[in-house]
Amino acid sequence: MPFSLKERRKFAVFAGLVFFHLILISLQVPKGDQPTYFERAFFTVFTPVQHGVVSFFQGLGRFWKSYFYLRHVQRQNQDMRDEIFLLRQENLAFRNMLLKFRSETEIQERLATISRSILVCSVIGFNSSDIYKSIVLNRGSLNGLKKDMVVLDKKGRLVGRVIDPVSLKEARVQLITDKESGVGVLSERQKVVGILSGYAEGKCLMKYVLRTNKGIEEGEEVSTSGFEGIYPAEVLVGKIISVTEDATLFKRIIVEPYFDFAELDEVAVFAVDLRE
Amino acid sequence: MKSLFEVVVAVILAVVLETILGKISAPLLFLFNAFSWVVLYFSLTKHEVFGAVLGTVCGLLQDSFSLGIFGVAGLTKTLLGFTAGFVSRKINIIPVTRNFVFILIVSFIELALWKFLVFFLFGERLALGSGLVLLQPLTTAFVVSLAFQIARRKRGESL
Repeated sequence: MPFSLKERRKFAVFAGLVFFHLILISLQVPKGDQPTYFERAFFTVFTPVQHGVVSFFQGLGRFWKSYFYLRHVQRQNQDMRDEIFLLRQENLAFRNMLLKFRSETEIQERLATISRSILVCSVIGFNSSDIYKSIVLNRGSLNGLKKDMVVLDKKGRLVGRVIDPVSLKEARVQLITDKESGVGVLSERQKVVGILSGYAEGKCLMKYVLRTNKGIEEGEEVSTSGFEGIYPAEVLVGKIISVTEDATLFKRIIVEPYFDFAELDEVAVFAVDLRE
Repeated sequence: MKSLFEVVVAVILAVVLETILGKISAPLLFLFNAFSWVVLYFSLTKHEVFGAVLGTVCGLLQDSFSLGIFGVAGLTKTLLGFTAGFVSRKINIIPVTRNFVFILIVSFIELALWKFLVFFLFGERLALGSGLVLLQPLTTAFVVSLAFQIARRKRGESL
């Protein structure tokens, strides 16, 4: 049965929309290029909605806790938790610097800079297609966030890095569990070097460790090597949960990251280059 | 004008719901896809062109909250909106069971197509959320079918 003119018009609209999507997808080839202006625009326009929703519910929660539920104790507890959070980050940064600097004055100066540079951010959104890929933070370029800044969890363990697009008040973070991510890592005992990237279901794969290498075992911790030039050295990343071999030249090493999705309500962003 | 207002409210509610679900527990995002609910509901009530355009908007919104190829969810949701709207005009999907099964099938096809594009064309490993994502068509069918029947009751329509 032939289609009427009205139906043909409908198909034309549909074909136009499909064509638009195909063009949009094609524009992003090769993968890994900068986000398009269109994507940036969508991110900038709609993340404030997420920001607003989270702020509203956080406000409601704070109101309830502050005024009705153990008002004073709650506040004290929160202050102490914030302090512990900042101290952990400071401690981590301090340990990193000790590896690099000899002079105590220099360490003190650097530590003062770093303390001022820790930004505590709330997570306002997860990747709705695949939660292991990225998160959205409630701070952006107005707060000093820039691409490639390192993001750690409450206990100072690696979460990921800030990536484009960074809007005025929101920023996106690529998690280390994303397949497209890459982190230079070292094993704890024999300092075996590899590249960590996302694998599946929140696990990571430590790549490019030759199968002839006998210096790596299950249960070992891995930390950043700093070789890729983005992440500082010696930040804890996770634990090796399986080491197997297949037909390739390399071992298949699965790493479970230390950061926990359930506790990923707040993160610390280092607004300073820890490698310097 | 009223329809447009309803759509805008529904899309904003979907964004709000996705945000709340992510804050409650991130794996819930595997189970519920509020953008698909909006696209399917309006495809069934306002048919294919409306469904396709809304699919484009909701899909691109979902893409903007995700890291990866921008436009994949847009493409699959456009196909979902158009197909659901077109088929629902050709067959009677008003009875509850038929309505539920129809939505279950189209949302399963959408999920399969989306995963197919991500896995085969872009070579990305599938994130199944420990199997939770496989239940997504079921939750979508339940929610949309329920909303559809409630809306019909409100309008006083019979089967």
